[in-house]
Amino acid sequence: MSNSLRPYLAAVRSTLTAALTLEDFSSQVVERHNKPEVEARGSKEVLLNPLTISRNENERVLIESSVNSIRMSIKIKQADEIERILCHKLTRFLMQRAESFIVLRRKPVPGYDISFLITNVHAETMLKHKVVDFIIQFMEEVDREISEMKLSLNARSRTVAESYLAAFAS
Amino acid sequence: MILLEPHNLIIQTTLFDKIAKPSSLDSQFVDFDGVRFHLSTPERKTLIQLSMNIRCWDELVKYGAMDVLQREYGPSIKAQTEADYHISLDIDLEQIPVDEEARDALIKSMSMLKRNALAAPFERAFRQQKELESSGQAQSELMQIHYRDEEAIYIQASPDRVTVIFSTVFREETDSIFGKLFLPAFVEARRNPSLQNAPHVLYTNRDPPLEIRDVPGLRHVEDIGYVTFILFPRHFANASASSSTISNIQLFRDYLHYHIKCTKAYMHSRMRIRVAEFQKVLNRAKTEAATTERKTVTGRTMATR
Repeated sequence: MSNSLRPYLAAVRSTLTAALTLEDFSSQVVERHNKPEVEARGSKEVLLNPLTISRNENERVLIESSVNSIRMSIKIKQADEIERILCHKLTRFLMQRAESFIVLRRKPVPGYDISFLITNVHAETMLKHKVVDFIIQFMEEVDREISEMKLSLNARSRTVAESYLAAFAS
Repeated sequence: MILLEPHNLIIQTTLFDKIAKPSSLDSQFVDFDGVRFHLSTPERKTLIQLSMNIRCWDELVKYGAMDVLQREYGPSIKAQTEADYHISLDIDLEQIPVDEEARDALIKSMSMLKRNALAAPFERAFRQQKELESSGQAQSELMQIHYRDEEAIYIQASPDRVTVIFSTVFREETDSIFGKLFLPAFVEARRNPSLQNAPHVLYTNRDPPLEIRDVPGLRHVEDIGYVTFILFPRHFANASASSSTISNIQLFRDYLHYHIKCTKAYMHSRMRIRVAEFQKVLNRAKTEAATTERKTVTGRTMATR
């Protein structure tokens, strides 16, 4: 893990842990509704200040919290066109499987690549520190996965070209 | 399988089966570049008719395809071509050579029908190069083969080389980005000392290379790439070298796109594995529900309904 990644992830981890103090909270606007307030945005007093943690201009995390839910969005580093397409494919692949990743949101918040929505129900059925672990591990591995895919793509293109030209040389 | 094969596997295996056991047959299938084949037995079980439809037939005939096919297949070519197809061959199973080697060679040559038809302009260019070299004239005319809807091969002979230009279109955004990564690799691969004998490769994106700049009807859009191969006389010095060069270079476009698709498939399977791993990590977070059996004092089990 590089030097700047460690404090970045540490900051995200402690912010998430602090934000994950959720309780059951029925809607104040509609009777018998119980919605994640961070999505519904029905009443202002239950929303907390959103918080951005940036590693650099290309990588940042947005944590929006409310009384019964938090929404966390990640912007993944994309240095060039290849990384952009790989990141897009990977996040799309994940979000299509959002129902098995209970905490994943089907669409990212505008300006970010992938979003998680954790409600009080999730916080009750799952261990809080393990959920945080999952998100931190996800952030670590997504970067690594994208750079590995890029490397394998480069290696493959070289092999492909060389074996084609070798057929002429023989 | 890294390299694609120049022959058609379906023709090869079907003929092989039918020689062993003749039966009636009617099958249509396709090859690369929208080439359609039709294998049938219109008259009797032992007389197979092989017909081919190829998009750029008129252009190929103009560049001498009939001569090449006549040379390769000779008497097998039917005078009466099947409707909707461009060329028909007859294969009489009763007159197949008994010798195994000769039989395999015949099957092989039948399955190379598409390759032989497309070989004509290349062979013509190789001949023109030799003529130009001895007469000392400038370039020959530019041959154009529109073998796909939006893509074409351009061939031009010069006194010291033959230039082959492929135009290729990437229909999807991902393909186009992968293509931009793969095509420069061909240019770079030539720096490898073991590949010094390979043809020169040049690559341009969007703007057509100088040789074909004046050709009407070229589109200047972002998703087109042009790959130029410069073949030197050593690539077609003798018959076997020139035939292997032709087989290879014809398949360049298919080879490139085939590997782009393979890469995408690999990425997909890789993501699948990665997602399964993330799923495991998340599952660790779930608290396990109490699964212990509950019993009453008398020993009966409680069941939930």
